[in-house]
Amino acid sequence: MAKVLMKGNEAIALAAIKGGVDAFYGYPITPQNEVPEYLSKHLKANGKVFLQAESEVSAINMVYGAAGAGKRVMTSSSSPGIALKQEGISYIAAAELPCVIVSVMRGGPGLGGIQPSQADYYQATRGGGNGDYQLIVYAPESIQETIDIMKESFDIADYYRNPVMVLVDGLIGQMMESVDFDKPVKERFLPEKDWATNGTKNHPGKINVANSLHIDPNNLEKHNIHLQEKYNTIRKNEVRYELVNFDNPDFVIVAYGTMARICRSSIELLEKEGISVGMIRPISLFPYPKEAFTKIPNKVKGLLTCELSHGQMLDDVLIANNGKHKVGFFGRSGGMVPDPEEIVEAIKNFDERVVN
Amino acid sequence: MKRITFLTGYYGSGKTEIAINLAIQKKVDYVVDLDIINPYFRSRELEEYLNENGIDIISSDMSSKMHLDMPYISKRIYQPINNTNKRAIYDLGGNDQGAKLLRQFDDYHDEEYDLLLVVNIFRTETDNAEKIIQLINKIEGISGFKVTGLINNSNLLKDTTLEDVLAGEKVLNIVSELLGLEILYTSIWKDVTNDENLVFSGEALKLNLYFRKNWF
Repeated sequence: MAKVLMKGNEAIALAAIKGGVDAFYGYPITPQNEVPEYLSKHLKANGKVFLQAESEVSAINMVYGAAGAGKRVMTSSSSPGIALKQEGISYIAAAELPCVIVSVMRGGPGLGGIQPSQADYYQATRGGGNGDYQLIVYAPESIQETIDIMKESFDIADYYRNPVMVLVDGLIGQMMESVDFDKPVKERFLPEKDWATNGTKNHPGKINVANSLHIDPNNLEKHNIHLQEKYNTIRKNEVRYELVNFDNPDFVIVAYGTMARICRSSIELLEKEGISVGMIRPISLFPYPKEAFTKIPNKVKGLLTCELSHGQMLDDVLIANNGKHKVGFFGRSGGMVPDPEEIVEAIKNFDERVVN
Repeated sequence: MKRITFLTGYYGSGKTEIAINLAIQKKVDYVVDLDIINPYFRSRELEEYLNENGIDIISSDMSSKMHLDMPYISKRIYQPINNTNKRAIYDLGGNDQGAKLLRQFDDYHDEEYDLLLVVNIFRTETDNAEKIIQLINKIEGISGFKVTGLINNSNLLKDTTLEDVLAGEKVLNIVSELLGLEILYTSIWKDVTNDENLVFSGEALKLNLYFRKNWF
């Protein structure tokens, strides 16, 4: 397939098909509607399952069931819709089932608006669901990167038996870019799903159960410890980030997704004025790329965290920075997207931005 | 350019950018935004800019029209058609679904109009003549209006080369021949070519991208 021009949401859908998705369950919400629209047309035509559920709660529980049966499943939604799915997401994580959840963020809180935002960082990385669980969270900045991550996400979910969330904002969902679907992604050895609740034909005498209820606290703690060990393995193996312009920076910006894209332009503008600014661009939000912060030169005057929200990733930056550098913050919200010049100003007046 | 120009085409083929560029370059009086499909990048977002250029934009009457994705449109959409000394561009939503809105103009078939199909062959659903003709049939069936011309808007955004534009022209030439439709415009990105002597099918429409920020 040569280069084609695609809208982010359509690209997510086609990348899911390329990633081997067997079934999609979802409920419509702006600004991600082109994902189910595309899949409704193309999944059914290829003998796969597309189901528009009666609600987000139903959809995520269908994902739970189909993932339990060993199929490659996904759902997609936007902020308030992802909020509704939290119970099911916690159950899926507890039952250690693989699935891919696409979250196309819009302005919040509450019903909020339909314009782009990054205010669901906590929701993605801290979870709205109950218990000590983690999603593996990727936040791509371009449609090409979204495609590559989507294709790989089903393997990563299967490999760790854990839900993977692909977190973008409405702008990446709605914008268009020329993309290549054939770019190869990392391949992993995936064992048979001998845990799947798909009958006993392949494992006579062994009955598989997908479950998240452990009444005996001894068992539940053991299960929790096992989950924590898995999350630690993920922390060790799955960190992804990009260092931009890291040769000899005066300041370092930390930004992901659309905000990182805007900051690239800010960095170019600042360079013209003789201010050298580097950027840490986290691609995995869980696991958070703490190691990137060890590469910041000592002489750097400060770190500026930039978000389309009011200081959510800032928490992780403060933890990773561990008091070493001054940390500043710049954020817009509610669907407002800044121009690169606003970040240029924030860097120039860094002292006013410092939070620690 | 006819007094009334309706722009239709496959979803994401660039109708709105073409609509704004034509409106500015051809100095029309109205841009009518009939897009009830897209939540982002709609011509109503450029209201201020268009007003400064003497162009009235008609979209929704709702006070928060810019950020709603509700299918409300203004009753003023008939104004340009009835005002026979005014010129207007109607920017429809994508696909046959977007073209459905033309049904409300059933009583105005006698007006002097063009219904132009914007095509980008790098959109997978319109990458060959057969698919484009199928789309034209669907649009004509659902709207009750005849497509009267083609616009070659084949591009890969900032990756576009002259070859890409010509590849689009090649495909549209087949459509043109089979259906007897003229290619009225070929859109040209400023970086694609500076050669003023190149001849394209129809008028070369130099594009200024109004929705794309420099960091996209």
